[in-house]
Amino acid sequence: MYGKILSCALVGIEGIPINVEADVNDGLPTFTMVGYLSSSVKEAGERVRTALKNSGYHLPPKRITINLSPGNIRKDGTSYDLPIAIAVLKAMGLFCDVDFSKLVMIGEVGLDGTIKPVPGVLPMVHSLYDRGIRQCIVPLQNKKEAMLVSGMHVIGASDLGQIVGLLQSEKCMQIDNDGSIVDYMDTEDASQIDFSDIKGQNVLKRGMEIAAVGFHNVLMTGASGAGKSMLAKRLPTILPGLSLEEQMEVTKIYSVAGLLTNSSMLIRKRPFRSPHHTISEHALVGGGLVPKPGEISLAHRGVLFLDELPEFRKNVLEVLRQPMEEHRVSIARVNATYVFPAEFMLIAAMNPCPCGFFPDRERCVCTPYQIKRYQSKISGPLLDRIDINFEVQQVQYQELFQNDCLNTSKEIRERVEEAREIQKMRYKEDKVMFNAQLTEAQIKKYINLGIDEHRLLEDAFEKQRLSARGMYRVLRLARTIADMDASDEIQKKHLVEALYFKNCEVKKDVF
Amino acid sequence: MYFNEQESLYALRLHQIHGIGTRTKNKLFQAFGTYEGIFHASKKELVTICAEKTAEIILNNQDMECARSYLDQLLSRKIHIVYPGHPSYPIKLLHIYDPPNLLYVRGILRENLRIYNRCIGIVGARYPSVYGNEIAEYFAGELAKRGYTVISGLARGIDGAAHKGALRVNGYTVAVLGCGINVTYPKEHVNLFHEIEERGAVISEYGLDEKPLSAYFPQRNRIISGMSDGVLVVEAKKKSGSLITCDRALEQGRQVYAVPGRITDKTSEGCNDLIKQGAICVTGVMDIVDDMEGKENAGQMIMMLDEDAGEMVCKDDFCRENEKKEEITISDSLECTKNALAPMNKIVYSCLSLDPLYIDDIIQLAGIGITKVISILYELEEQGLIKQPLKGYYTIAL
Repeated sequence: MYGKILSCALVGIEGIPINVEADVNDGLPTFTMVGYLSSSVKEAGERVRTALKNSGYHLPPKRITINLSPGNIRKDGTSYDLPIAIAVLKAMGLFCDVDFSKLVMIGEVGLDGTIKPVPGVLPMVHSLYDRGIRQCIVPLQNKKEAMLVSGMHVIGASDLGQIVGLLQSEKCMQIDNDGSIVDYMDTEDASQIDFSDIKGQNVLKRGMEIAAVGFHNVLMTGASGAGKSMLAKRLPTILPGLSLEEQMEVTKIYSVAGLLTNSSMLIRKRPFRSPHHTISEHALVGGGLVPKPGEISLAHRGVLFLDELPEFRKNVLEVLRQPMEEHRVSIARVNATYVFPAEFMLIAAMNPCPCGFFPDRERCVCTPYQIKRYQSKISGPLLDRIDINFEVQQVQYQELFQNDCLNTSKEIRERVEEAREIQKMRYKEDKVMFNAQLTEAQIKKYINLGIDEHRLLEDAFEKQRLSARGMYRVLRLARTIADMDASDEIQKKHLVEALYFKNCEVKKDVF
Repeated sequence: MYFNEQESLYALRLHQIHGIGTRTKNKLFQAFGTYEGIFHASKKELVTICAEKTAEIILNNQDMECARSYLDQLLSRKIHIVYPGHPSYPIKLLHIYDPPNLLYVRGILRENLRIYNRCIGIVGARYPSVYGNEIAEYFAGELAKRGYTVISGLARGIDGAAHKGALRVNGYTVAVLGCGINVTYPKEHVNLFHEIEERGAVISEYGLDEKPLSAYFPQRNRIISGMSDGVLVVEAKKKSGSLITCDRALEQGRQVYAVPGRITDKTSEGCNDLIKQGAICVTGVMDIVDDMEGKENAGQMIMMLDEDAGEMVCKDDFCRENEKKEEITISDSLECTKNALAPMNKIVYSCLSLDPLYIDDIIQLAGIGITKVISILYELEEQGLIKQPLKGYYTIAL
């Protein structure tokens, strides 16, 4: 007898349908599994046999063969346990009158027959929905996640017996089909941190606002304790909200990484990732035998904050180059190339020298050579990809206790949203959300400079020795600054401000 | 490139011999008239001038092969040598207590070095303030414009600024190294080194790849002061190497000029002390020019560097008198610059000094919005009125 159940494999954050076939035949009693399986899938045989026995279904002493097709995709993980179990039962002759062609099953089975959660349910279900599948059985703990795909009928399974019972009864397909996600939106939590906590540092705040509007990369250089990290942590409070589509993208990545918690099913806030500087390159861009998304993908549509930038290993920083340009990272493995989106905003912070006090010569004890060596840990190509460069100075005592009415995060965020709307309107034909995402061709299309502005840029191009990439970055930045001014044209002052922020040439020999 | 190959060879050979002091070598040269003569002299002749031990060393080192191969090596690297008796040898060095027997030269030692009262040594702190840096560059530039040769040591800080100032106005400058002629120390001055080599001269008493040893620098300082007619100290701490240069300068009968500083500034303590001890207090370029040229006979022509033509032209006393009357101090000219600015620009410019000011503080002092301040700063920087020594920090430009 033969049984076939639909399941799903993940390549990157894309789900690919997998047919789980089972055959029960006469012969020596064995349980064989084939189909380019990793060891975690091969072990499924033992789990399923025991789980079925403990759920009250005795396997006949026959030759049982399991095949997972197509055979050219490597299968990994434990999410095939449930479909294998059901396929075996079907091959034994159960569920004769159930149509399995439009039903997908995902889940791990314990030895006692309970069904356990697996990572990556959302992207799998989402991909299959796009392929016309409308029903799915997922572990109960993953149910909320699967229900984020509106229109999908989701059944949450807690143990094998319950599923068998459901499939045998007539009404099984009518349950849990609201597909509504509204109930599962997490409520906005009132943040404890606010932009008005930061005293002084007006230029820095201005720069951060620009970065938030246009999604630009930022590098802050300054003495320890000047407020770099403090500022970076407050950046998410002024970032514009995520659209539903973006929320889905981010949630999918977190689902694949197995980082979705029950309390926040759909990720509604822009991610803020701040990995420690001991991170490996694989952890940063993604990796593993079957690649999992790294920090840069987890920061997709959000902020990647690298504190103490020069302390990161050099090779780790250099792997950032390609994703920063292409907004995605592709990881090649023998069997497949995995692509993860990585549209992040890099916020980096560093000290100017090992002791951290440069350019305060009274306190800095570093030699020019030490300073140079420390700063040269950040390679030129990486610096070229930074739009906004700051030198941060220590805050003055008076400023700390000034009671000026400073802009709160809410006020700034309103301004940011406004400028964001302008971008949205302008780029509605293209798949662009922020100025920083404009391609060179799109820059030609959307950014027109007057004669004066051209002359100014040409001048700066020569003087600051900008690269072509650097110049495009200045243009994107100028576009953002003009948007904040609600100006259609990029004016001279916008360009000048963009040039000020972009310029990172440090004339070290002066000090 | 050198005037007498044979003589160069012998000079180099004598220079290579260890165990004989500079003074003795000079004495030998004076006695025999040529370096060749020293090597061809008999022991008897030698003993009349120097100790027996020295004579033996010379007689044991008659082999010329090592000098010849070394000379070829030098020439292939476009390094030439000068020694007392060589036409390019800086003539003023001959009058000091212990003139170097041999100097390795990259670039060209020009006639300028022979002109009296037209060579100025500029020395100072290796880690000066931004103010000191600017002042050194300013003085070097102004003096070079008047045809002066700027001599310094290619060190960090004031030395480097002095060379840069002279090169900026296409002046002539000489760097005296405290290490081998093939060594750039400090490394960050590698570009400056090549620029000086191209448009001035880099000289050293030490062979090709000698490391910069601390003992070499005081020795080097005697050459800086020896080649100059006066030494200008821009910023110096209480115990500064520049003060050694001043001591040497005084021993050699050169004038010492010092730029005064605030009494609270550590980097100016040395300068202020010098002034107390009688150095000439310099607050403007004319202080140096007047002092140097006052020593000359009236009516003598002075050489001026014509900036446009890039060549030396003569100016007579009359012109110089005029110049004197028109003399304006640095602060006057800065005031002038300030008054010529548009109102908003003036406000921002007034906030700045030669101490770097952070942009946030400028915004606060000026009371103008960020965007506007950035525009103004950009404009002023374009006009060359202000500088940005470090991103976000601004100073005025002299």
